[in-house]
Amino acid sequence: MFQPAPSFRDPSGCCCFFRGRVLRFVAADAVAGFEQFLQTNCARQFIAGKQFVATRRLNESETAALRTEPGLPPIFSAPAAGAVFEHVRIPFPSYPHEWPPEMLWAAGRLTLELAQAALADGFGLKDATPHNVLFRGSEPVFIDALSFERRNPGDPIWLPEAQFVRTFLLPLLANRRWGLPLAGLFTASRDGIEPEEVYRFCGPLEKFKPRMLSLVSIPTWLTRKANPDNQRIYQPQLLANPEKARFILESLFRRLARSLDSLRPAAQQKSVWSDYMATHSYDDPAFVAKEKFVTEALREFKPARVLDAGANTGHFSVLAAQAGAAVVAVDLDAACTGAIWRRARDQKLDILPLVLDLARPSPALGWRNGECSSFLDRAIGAFDGVLMLALIHHLLVTERIPLEEILRLAYELTNSLLVIEFIEPRDDMFRRLTRGRDHLHAALEAKGFESACAPYFEIVRSLALPGTQRRMYCLKKKSAT
Amino acid sequence: MTIVLAYVDPGLGALLWQSTIAAIVGFVFYLNKTRRWIVSTIQKIFGRGRKPEAASTKITVSSESLATKVERKTEVR
Repeated sequence: MFQPAPSFRDPSGCCCFFRGRVLRFVAADAVAGFEQFLQTNCARQFIAGKQFVATRRLNESETAALRTEPGLPPIFSAPAAGAVFEHVRIPFPSYPHEWPPEMLWAAGRLTLELAQAALADGFGLKDATPHNVLFRGSEPVFIDALSFERRNPGDPIWLPEAQFVRTFLLPLLANRRWGLPLAGLFTASRDGIEPEEVYRFCGPLEKFKPRMLSLVSIPTWLTRKANPDNQRIYQPQLLANPEKARFILESLFRRLARSLDSLRPAAQQKSVWSDYMATHSYDDPAFVAKEKFVTEALREFKPARVLDAGANTGHFSVLAAQAGAAVVAVDLDAACTGAIWRRARDQKLDILPLVLDLARPSPALGWRNGECSSFLDRAIGAFDGVLMLALIHHLLVTERIPLEEILRLAYELTNSLLVIEFIEPRDDMFRRLTRGRDHLHAALEAKGFESACAPYFEIVRSLALPGTQRRMYCLKKKSAT
Repeated sequence: MTIVLAYVDPGLGALLWQSTIAAIVGFVFYLNKTRRWIVSTIQKIFGRGRKPEAASTKITVSSESLATKVERKTEVR
């Protein structure tokens, strides 16, 4: 299984994933501050609310046992000058380039809430990036516990403000105003988007709108006018009055929170696929039969972890979550995944929605491709059940993926159950996709589909959906091919 | 106390803009403080003798309004 490389940006320590455990080495000069932070009201309150990753310090015998483990980064093997902590593991890590705008907004909200709460306890947040946050189901969890440091009481400046703007506010602004996908922004750049880049998109009048002025235009003009060699700009501007410094920072956090709230994605966003549940090609009996078929399969196999591939607005993800599974729902439509996130959060369902094209799943990113693992590295073997409903015709026709390849991927993703919907080329939706290229799929029929499944799966049962050219299959993974 | 400086890029224009706003908000802080000082000073000079009066006024008002409500209900009946 893939293991991300240890983190390296923070001079105070590094985090590493080791044999299913999340370990953090903290350097000697940061240990006391880190432990003090974990004892603050802020940390306790957010840990109790499951919004901050639970953390414990390993005792001496546990640390000594680690030293004998091969494969750990050297700094963990000889932590004489520091300490090792262990974090609770978040089941399925996800990254900002896979989130719908709603999730980026929620991660930003949590970041600001923590920064505000830490201020009251005399601590400051030293970086403000969405990479500090993972999602447990639909709920954000702040995982970079070492991001807090005791702040100088006289410092009125929050240095990560620019990073917060680059990685939260401007991506949300660009997504809302011009429809730029977050996947593109965060795949291209770890640190978001610069005000100067957004400035180039703005029309002459738009540059003077209040929100653009504050977040984009004025920082851009100041960058152009300022002398980049003047290092005095970066010197701390300490005030003699700590009360005043805190007043300024509280005002800054309120202002950022207002900006973030004004960029909250709208609830009813429209896209090509957002109305699918209302406009799909099934009549009621067919849809009821499909729903019953999926429910029975879930009841029979009781999968603990389910991947709903091509989830659309998450109707079947909800069924799986209600059956007790932890669900990862992927769809390439950000409006649909955003709707799933809202529903999961409102109904407190264990669903993690991700914007993902199964034909072009998110790649490994970062330094040496080791900072963010690829989707398939995280997903293969991670699920007990996979749902592929109304999906394969998109892969077969639009993406030109061979049927055998689709089934092989499903085989690698699931440990047990696959519920798949086979769609005959005569189906209206199938023909809409072929656009005159029907001859390419003329030989595709249910028998051929079953033969293609045979090397990988046993057919538990199948059901022709009444009044359609579609057939549901409940398949059980064969132990080896 | 060890202060570890943030390692993230603070930007250039963004940092200058934040510093400018911080200066303005700092001025607001003194305005607020001055306003609070003026209000508390006025209260110290003039407020002491008035407090019991203000309290009795409140009671009068509330008892008046209660009496009015009772009267209205009686009229309705």
